[in-house]
Amino acid sequence: MSGAGAASLAGASGWRRMARSGRVIAGASILLALIICALGAHWIAPFDPNEQDILNALKSPVWGLDSAEGHWLGTDNLGRDTLSRLIYGSRVALFVAFCAAIGTMIVGTILALVAGYFGGVVDWIISRLVDLWMSFPPVVLSLILIVGFGVGIGNVILAIVLVDWTRFCRVVRSEVLVIRRQTYIDAARLAGFSHWRTMLREVLPAALPLIITLMSLEMGIAVIVEAILSFVGMSVESDIPAWGVMISDARADMYQSSWGLILPISAIVVTVLAFNLLGDGLRRSFDARLQQH
Amino acid sequence: MSGEILGIVLRRILIAIPLMLLVSLLVFVVLRLIPADPISMSVPPNATAEEIEALRREMGLHLPIVRQYFIWLGHVLGGDLGRSIAFGQPVTTLIAQSLPATIELAVFGALFATIIGIGGGLLMFALRGRASGQVADLGSTVMMSIPEFLWALFLILLFGVSLNLLPFAGRLPPDVTVPRATGFLLLDCLVSGNIKAFFQAIEFMLLPSLALALGTAPLIMRVLRSSLMDVIGEDYITMARLRGVPERRVIARHGLRNALLPTLSLMGVQFGFLFGGTLLVEVIYSYPGLGNMMVEAVRNTDLPIIQGAALVFALAVLVINLVVDVLYIVVNPVLRRAR
Repeated sequence: MSGAGAASLAGASGWRRMARSGRVIAGASILLALIICALGAHWIAPFDPNEQDILNALKSPVWGLDSAEGHWLGTDNLGRDTLSRLIYGSRVALFVAFCAAIGTMIVGTILALVAGYFGGVVDWIISRLVDLWMSFPPVVLSLILIVGFGVGIGNVILAIVLVDWTRFCRVVRSEVLVIRRQTYIDAARLAGFSHWRTMLREVLPAALPLIITLMSLEMGIAVIVEAILSFVGMSVESDIPAWGVMISDARADMYQSSWGLILPISAIVVTVLAFNLLGDGLRRSFDARLQQH
Repeated sequence: MSGEILGIVLRRILIAIPLMLLVSLLVFVVLRLIPADPISMSVPPNATAEEIEALRREMGLHLPIVRQYFIWLGHVLGGDLGRSIAFGQPVTTLIAQSLPATIELAVFGALFATIIGIGGGLLMFALRGRASGQVADLGSTVMMSIPEFLWALFLILLFGVSLNLLPFAGRLPPDVTVPRATGFLLLDCLVSGNIKAFFQAIEFMLLPSLALALGTAPLIMRVLRSSLMDVIGEDYITMARLRGVPERRVIARHGLRNALLPTLSLMGVQFGFLFGGTLLVEVIYSYPGLGNMMVEAVRNTDLPIIQGAALVFALAVLVINLVVDVLYIVVNPVLRRAR
């Protein structure tokens, strides 16, 4: 019990700091807006994202010279409304971000807990597995996994989980190694807790702030990986609007209309920035050592 | 001393061998999951059942998968990565043609990343505690949110399309050819004495390597800044200051030298990522390297190329990490003595 107590004590001041952190507020606000866009896309978007209007193809945004009535952010080469596609694109990005982050968290954390807690041979095997995985550039590994699995949003999520669990595993493992040496862990064992119960009730809560921080950063990475895969045409089916697909479509026409490229790029950067600000703010709030600087 | 370092290098290579074998197993197994049948891609549509069966036997596809792996591995170790389905050429030839271009790009990218990373880290450190430092800090967070492939597109828009300053497709203007000698275009330009083409080739490489560097540098910047922060509290820094050593020199002689160690070990990991990042950057800049070839192969489901390229990428990352680890030991006397 003392473990959870100590963790919540350290956590309580962390949560307070967090609520005051500009980064956390900024990141969370952007994310909230994105989530509203994604959930309410059907009502917010002015057009159907796949509705073609060839007569109004490649129109510039309203501030440009060649804008079209109603298309606030212009249109692409098939006359599809850029704003509507951006709004619908947030669905793919956020869905992949949340699912992939939860998946990597579960896989990475479980392996890290087992490795850090039991040590010895188990730790050695898991650590070598991490080394093996990390010897692949992430983009290359996710690409061959997607070639193996085939395209589709579920497979994209699976590929990201299979690529990125190592990031979680490596960081959380070293945290677990530190927590493992605390006296309250021994106390829990002496009190008759089983290994699993000690891990889940004592070790895990103490590692939670780190895990939450990593999840936030992982969501940003997942957004990027999804954009990369949809950019090379290996992510979602062609009728689903995704930011990476928009970029890849707009490349051919970048001389006529650079906004088609700039807008989805900005959407990706803002989303990733929101996750990074949130993660960075959380880390600063929880990390006592940083507070002293 | 050098014998000791040699021992460490040999030990690292011994660890790398089973790692490479596992990587090859991973590549083989994953690409066997592929729904497409490799046979149907390499025969004409009017092939008879006998012809297909003959080819299946020739390619060894009737054997159990474990035996297939060992046969494939035997070929790989013998330097035979199979033949490309789309081009009909040996994969090793294709890789030998495209890998030098990727290495050149990665080296330039790493060079820029080092300059921007260390320069930026020092700048952030110099601005610490000021309002402009907060801005620089936020700036680095924004930069961390932009991966190299978005930098690549952004730089094209800015310097290529809008300002029309730099070229962004391929390696040389279409009317310039350089005889192939080493495979490394920059060297070939020098070998053939074509200095003009040399500078043109560098011009073509500026944007893609800058994109790679901008995707890699922010983390180097931040780690250097925070390790400088750690070092600056040490006694020897205070002592140097008390001795009246100018601040600039304190940072350069004492601070930077010690703060560079953690930065160097991070750079090893980062340059591994950077090598992977060439993949997308090459596609965006139509740069004829390994990554471009691999993405093309992914689109054509050209399995032998995908396998070969994936192995080369993994091997490259292992080599980069090995080199950085050795460098780390060479420059860090404490570690060297401890072993």
